Amino acid sequence: MATTTTISQGIAIKFKDQAWLVISSQFVNPGKGSAFTRTKLKNLKTEQIVENTFRSGEAVELIDVVRNKCQFLYNDGEDYYFMDNETYEQFSFTKATLGDATNYLVENTECYAMYLDGVPVSIQLPGKMSFKIVSTPPGVKGDTATGGSKEATLETGAIVKVPLFIKEGESIIVNTETNEYVSKG
Amino acid sequence: MTDKETIKKRAFYTQKIRDFFNAQNFTEVETPIMVTIPGMEPHLTPFETQFTDQTKLYLNHSPELQMKKLLAQGFGNIFNITKVFRNGEIGGNTHNPEFTMIEWYRENANYQNIMEDCEKLISSLAPEITYQGNKIDLKSPWPRKSVQELFKEYCQIDLTSEDPFKNHDTSGCHTWDDKFFKVFLNEIEPHLGKNKPLIVYDYPSSQAALAKKSTKNPFFAERFELYIAGIELANAFSELTDAQEQRDRLKQEQQERKELKKTVFPIDEEFLHSLESIQFPCAGIALGLDRLLMLLMDKKSINEVLLFPLWQQLQLSHKE
Repeated sequence: MATTTTISQGIAIKFKDQAWLVISSQFVNPGKGSAFTRTKLKNLKTEQIVENTFRSGEAVELIDVVRNKCQFLYNDGEDYYFMDNETYEQFSFTKATLGDATNYLVENTECYAMYLDGVPVSIQLPGKMSFKIVSTPPGVKGDTATGGSKEATLETGAIVKVPLFIKEGESIIVNTETNEYVSKG
Repeated sequence: MTDKETIKKRAFYTQKIRDFFNAQNFTEVETPIMVTIPGMEPHLTPFETQFTDQTKLYLNHSPELQMKKLLAQGFGNIFNITKVFRNGEIGGNTHNPEFTMIEWYRENANYQNIMEDCEKLISSLAPEITYQGNKIDLKSPWPRKSVQELFKEYCQIDLTSEDPFKNHDTSGCHTWDDKFFKVFLNEIEPHLGKNKPLIVYDYPSSQAALAKKSTKNPFFAERFELYIAGIELANAFSELTDAQEQRDRLKQEQQERKELKKTVFPIDEEFLHSLESIQFPCAGIALGLDRLLMLLMDKKSINEVLLFPLWQQLQLSHKE
């Protein structure tokens, strides 16, 4: 058992007798009542996505999901192929199943494969990953680090907001949960 | 990371809001951010500090007690754009522990007059917005629904019945109010204000300690909230001005804080005393400026409209 204060993206929980992966969690406080955690959950068997709000402190049953290190191999235009680094078995996911994670998959990226009853159901990326910037407009003189941001395209094609001092060809660290810039890296 | 254009727009809209109230002869007031007695809301946690002589001081989580003291002094209609603080409130798109509140109070008014103010103010800032791909028409009038109507419409619940939430998921909740919020957040709130703002009015009295009880049914109080795009934007009351009833209700909140193992604050006697001088019925509201700006500028997270959001400051300080 865990309480909702530990509910975070990437963990698997039991809810209504089924296994769900937490895709996002948000703090909400109506002010005149207790605090709550609003979550988006993906059913690990049916891939159905639902929203549910838990009271902060509510007990939630965690599910033991087997997590093995794996490696992203390639995508063939439709599916994304991975190899389990322990068993060397290969498996694939559709773009829809992976969701935003496809923004951060470069060949040979190391991540975790999650198995439920022996079947791969999801992958989990490292929380922070480093990427090279392939294009971004030049910064404007006079702006400070906190005064502005611009868009930068990563080597994966994903677009992230970065401070104005970041230049093309540099590497940055991105938070893969919030899709936000963290630092130069 | 907030860009320059957002910061400039923030200043622009804040000025338009000031102009709106000044044009109606409201007096702008500045209340203290640091106070000796914060509000009593059972579920809010203020930031604490202390004076050099050890006196405890708190960062205000709402200026409402000070605003009502000013009403009692006969200032007439007043407004305030001020920072407020709520400890622990971080980790979502709509919360930052420090944020900006617009509060305004009207004399000789009830909560319906404040509803009209909301319609006029917000539609004057933009007649229509697109928020995260959804078109929202802000022109008045806005639909109004009571809490009781919403519970009936979405959950077939009559709030005044015995054990109204029994057929709904209330796991983890023990009190009536917690069950109310869980059902409201799960089954009702996501539907609110999708293409038009929605005024939700007459909340259970247990959730409105400073509001006047409804004359039609004292189970409910004359409190309303404003929702746009599922976001709770404002909270308003017809103000309770009966000092004796106010004392009883603050005592109840002290008891609730005790049960929740939170610091129990003394009752602000000056506040109760001042209620006796309020001659006219009055009404007031607190509206979250940052959330309003999110809507007007189509920003998904409050962090995108704040200058130096705490979340970012914490991340930077952890790295050093």
